[in-house]
Amino acid sequence: MAFNLTPWKKRSALPVRREESDPFLALQKEMNRLLEDFNQSFGMTAFDGEQKGIWSPVVNVSEDDKNVTVSAELPGLDEKDVEVSVSDNILTIRGEKKEEKEDKGKNYYRMERHYGSFQRDVVLPSEVEMDKADATFKRGVLTISLPKSKEAQKEVKKIEVKAR
Amino acid sequence: MATETRAMDKREAQQPQGVERTMTRKVFMPRADIYESGESLVILLDMPGVDEKSVDVTLEKDILTITGTVQPHIPEGHTLAYSEYEIGDYRRAFTISDVDRENITAVVKNGVLRLTLPKSAQARTRKIEVKTQ
Repeated sequence: MAFNLTPWKKRSALPVRREESDPFLALQKEMNRLLEDFNQSFGMTAFDGEQKGIWSPVVNVSEDDKNVTVSAELPGLDEKDVEVSVSDNILTIRGEKKEEKEDKGKNYYRMERHYGSFQRDVVLPSEVEMDKADATFKRGVLTISLPKSKEAQKEVKKIEVKAR
Repeated sequence: MATETRAMDKREAQQPQGVERTMTRKVFMPRADIYESGESLVILLDMPGVDEKSVDVTLEKDILTITGTVQPHIPEGHTLAYSEYEIGDYRRAFTISDVDRENITAVVKNGVLRLTLPKSAQARTRKIEVKTQ
């Protein structure tokens, strides 16, 4: 009885699938490649999207009757590195976080911080007087204080709550 | 759909088993970059809101612990209309070895702490000269 010691029978019996013979594997590889290109164009790398590229700082917005205050945590930056502008109730914060010269080209064991340029648009909760805005940078926190416009202050109408 | 990455999805610091905080402030782990530069190890930590007076670096046996306290930065009388990040203290610890403990330096600038840990004498790479026979 001829006993076939080697398992080279038909191709489909092989446990290893070869690309040419398996259309699904080829499709999967093609999709992976497309998604990689997609990620590249947004400035993210395959690692963890947290390295050099486009990132966006997070903001907190608070207000009282007269002012709107926007604060953003931007450690490592100071007033020279950011640009703040207001237009039509939208506040734009833009800038670039550069690597320090001494840090460039070193062997990194871990990189969790963000670098690169950023832009953030914040919709303000009410109309503001653009000329009177004030921005200060302290300890890596950018605080922008915008006085509300007269019209916006008038609109606040207190509704009296009566007891029945 | 891929969106721009958001900075600072803050991660809460882990407490050792069975240990609780006495205060209700949140504690976060600051993001760190660690790299090697010639004869020393450099650690950069993002801790917005701290300055040199509110950060504490201690080295005990092999554990380097960094803690920072932050004052709330909402002006008085304001109510929070929209919040994307929380404000809290920072804490992170690393195990280190082969470090020259006497010469560790720490500098805070714009809310970033830079720690320089020079390697100890034994850990430095020595170049071995290759001679021909």
